[in-house]
Amino acid sequence: MKLIKAIVRPNKVDDVKDALGRVNLPGMTVTEVRGHGKQKGHMAIYRGKEYDVSLLPKMEIEVVVPDELVDEAVAAIIEAARTGEIGDGRVFVIPVEQSYRIRTGERIDR
Amino acid sequence: MATSLSSVETARVELFAASGRGKGGARALDLFSSCVDSLLQRLWNEAPAAATAGVLVALGGYGRRQLSLYSDIDVLLLFDGTIGPAEEARVRAVLHPLWDLQFSVGHQVRQASEFIELEIDNPKFLLALLDARAVTGDSALLERVSAVVRTPDARARIVDALTHLIDERHARFNDTFYQLEPDVKDAPGALRDLLAAQTIAALTDPSLLDRGPTDRVKLEEAAEFLQRLRSVVHVAHKRHRNDLLHEIQEQAAAVMGYTGGPRQQVERLMGDYFRHARVVSRALAWIRQAAPVPVGVNLVRSRNGHGIRFVDSEAAKGRPERWLPLFQAAIESGVPVADETLTWIQQRVEGCAHEAFFPTAVERDALLEFLKPRAGLYARLSEMHDSGLLGRMFPEFQAIFCRVVRDFYHKYTVDEHTLLTIRNLERLASRSVKGRERFSSLIADLAHPELLVMALLFHDVGKWRDAEDHSAESVRMAVDVMQRLQLPAESMAVVEFLIRNHTRMSLIAFRRDTDDPEMVRQLADLVGIEERLKMLCLLTLVDIEAVNPETLTPWREELLWRLYVDTYNHLTLGYADDRIEQREAGVRALIAGRPADITDAEIARFVEGLPRRYLRLFPTDVIYRHIRLSRDIRPDDVHTDLQRKGSLWELTVVTLDKPSLFSNICGTLSSFGMDITRGQAMTSPNGLVLDVFQFADHERFLELNASGQERFLAALGEAIVGSTDVAEAVRSRERGVLHRRRPGVTSTPPVIHADNQSSHRYTILDIVADNVLGLLHRVSRIISTHGCDVGLVLISTEGQRAIDVFHITQAGAKLSDQAVAELIADFPRMLEA
Repeated sequence: MKLIKAIVRPNKVDDVKDALGRVNLPGMTVTEVRGHGKQKGHMAIYRGKEYDVSLLPKMEIEVVVPDELVDEAVAAIIEAARTGEIGDGRVFVIPVEQSYRIRTGERIDR
Repeated sequence: MATSLSSVETARVELFAASGRGKGGARALDLFSSCVDSLLQRLWNEAPAAATAGVLVALGGYGRRQLSLYSDIDVLLLFDGTIGPAEEARVRAVLHPLWDLQFSVGHQVRQASEFIELEIDNPKFLLALLDARAVTGDSALLERVSAVVRTPDARARIVDALTHLIDERHARFNDTFYQLEPDVKDAPGALRDLLAAQTIAALTDPSLLDRGPTDRVKLEEAAEFLQRLRSVVHVAHKRHRNDLLHEIQEQAAAVMGYTGGPRQQVERLMGDYFRHARVVSRALAWIRQAAPVPVGVNLVRSRNGHGIRFVDSEAAKGRPERWLPLFQAAIESGVPVADETLTWIQQRVEGCAHEAFFPTAVERDALLEFLKPRAGLYARLSEMHDSGLLGRMFPEFQAIFCRVVRDFYHKYTVDEHTLLTIRNLERLASRSVKGRERFSSLIADLAHPELLVMALLFHDVGKWRDAEDHSAESVRMAVDVMQRLQLPAESMAVVEFLIRNHTRMSLIAFRRDTDDPEMVRQLADLVGIEERLKMLCLLTLVDIEAVNPETLTPWREELLWRLYVDTYNHLTLGYADDRIEQREAGVRALIAGRPADITDAEIARFVEGLPRRYLRLFPTDVIYRHIRLSRDIRPDDVHTDLQRKGSLWELTVVTLDKPSLFSNICGTLSSFGMDITRGQAMTSPNGLVLDVFQFADHERFLELNASGQERFLAALGEAIVGSTDVAEAVRSRERGVLHRRRPGVTSTPPVIHADNQSSHRYTILDIVADNVLGLLHRVSRIISTHGCDVGLVLISTEGQRAIDVFHITQAGAKLSDQAVAELIADFPRMLEA
């Protein structure tokens, strides 16, 4: 099992959700985040005054997938979230050691 | 009937005799007052005619027809015009005979206009006016002066002042009416207290005299007793003294008909005196505590926090157009409308037709005033909604009463969601939301925030039915409302635009790639001008926040703000490059709808080359007006149009471009003390200049001076052709007392930013500075001094800050980086100078 964590443009969340649905991964957690990678943001001017917009609004999508679906899921996310411009985001794949369902307490192995 | 001096003398002798017999009560005083009236009428009518209209006014006890034997005859001789020799002769002809009769006369001779101006803040004068009564002459003149005491504000001040005077007077008597030698006029429980109780009731709620611990009959008995007693005291003292001394008490008891031995007579007299004094004291104490504060016509605020109510609800029955002022007064007083009044409305609102609420322009304007976002608006609208009033005024709103629309996000019924949007806006307007100051600042900048509230009120009414797109239905219903309210076409267009597009900005902010300049351009095209952008941004913010408490996250706020800023910059920095072309849709529409006196060629010639926003900024009738102004214009011609726009004035200037033109226009405005709040200045490629300024005339120069507009426009014409020294005129105004900077008042340093990127044609200067007199004049002079030409200007203010965007060129091109640096470096020094 792996945790896929994707940081994407806010307007791409629906596309990513649809793409993951198409590879039978309906569940996900979405968080509003702010940050920057290579796309460092910039100084904006409003009414003559500069203000810092270096931390850009992004969406973080987390989804836990069985090992055999990881490549497909990552490909689906990348395809859905890509515009080709700087600022498209990142995808991380992280190993998951154990997983439990809170309602029943049962351990989930896949 | 003409009365001779001797008959007044006789009347005085009769009153003396009646008083001596203990019969100097209300009737005797009234008779004596009438007799003096007749004498004064005769003297006034026989006096030499004055040059201006005048009126002889009775004041004080005489005004109330309670003229006592030795009281002063208080009169006011009021004239409409200047008091010259003719008026003085008339005054002498009235007063001298009174003095000859050895009456003690308290007189004032005044000119009406000056009188009102000088005395309006003097509560004692306002109090005296309450008893004023025209004895003879032009009573309309007294009416005009007396109108000043009828305003709620004046009535409230009089009550306050009177309360203060009562406290001071009571303190002189150690706050007790159990005086062994009482002053029957001034002591607690005596005549002055009785008058105070009646005055407070008359000024606040006349029904107070019938409620509380005592009643009108007992008070009348007390009045009669005290008047009779006072007359006896006057006779005993043989002068104007009111203290019932021990040595007078026996005589007084005897003449007032008390039986028994001397000691018993006095005990009975004093027993009665204390009984009446107690009645008066208790009545006054109760009325003081129960008297509400006048806050409007037939409207009062209770002192115990129960809110606003009608003084006389009978007068409001069947008059639904008088109900909205309750809620307006409640907002202004920061209290609710009283529960019993809401119930009263609820019981009567059913039968009211919606047109009954806004029958004339007065009520329709009052509604727009009421809808201005500020603390209390949501609570008052909720009261109106809960009592059924809002739904009766606007059946369109009633359609969403408790309407449930199930979706994933909404947590409240549609009506409550709607009202919550207004609460959110009101919180922004009162700057009570920490961290949202940037959005709050947008409200301060809106010319018509009430239109935003109007849009919010009706943005979701289309949800009364299940449909895919509720916005179109909301627009249809809101248009019905606005037609009933006879809103001007431009206001209707704003509200319609906001409702139709109320989900557009959130869609772009949260569902589209806002880094894509195309998205920003699309939004800029949609809104067209900054005012609509600001309104749409605020509407979006408060609408999202009202969906449920979690919807508006700081993250969403940030996305929305960035989209706003990018679009604002697109609108204000890039618009100069976007110019009107021949035969484009907007021009074709102007031609299609043109009035008969304007030709196609005139329209094309005028608008071609102006920034495209011009067509969005002004309604077509105003554009036609501009075209007419531009006719036959030659160098040094200045065509102007000056109009009143609510509390502001609007000046339109059309002329041909010349050096320092903008600076001279702004300077002239400043030299007359005008406060420029917003405006546009545009130059077309053929050198035609169109400047439109909105300004406040705080000193009311244009309103109060008959030739004010003429003088101002003449000065403007001279300034534009360069025949006057505008800079000196501004300096002289700045040196004046009204505009001198007060010590200790700190000013914020101006922010100046130059942008050489955003426009192909212009260097753009963004200036944010304290909105002081002459700012625009000084800024544009600095620009001129550097050899630059002003192409376009956007002027706006946000509270005390001025935000001005200048599009400038030097020798027909953008400025070099060095020229920009030199200009910027010069600003702080020259602005300060």
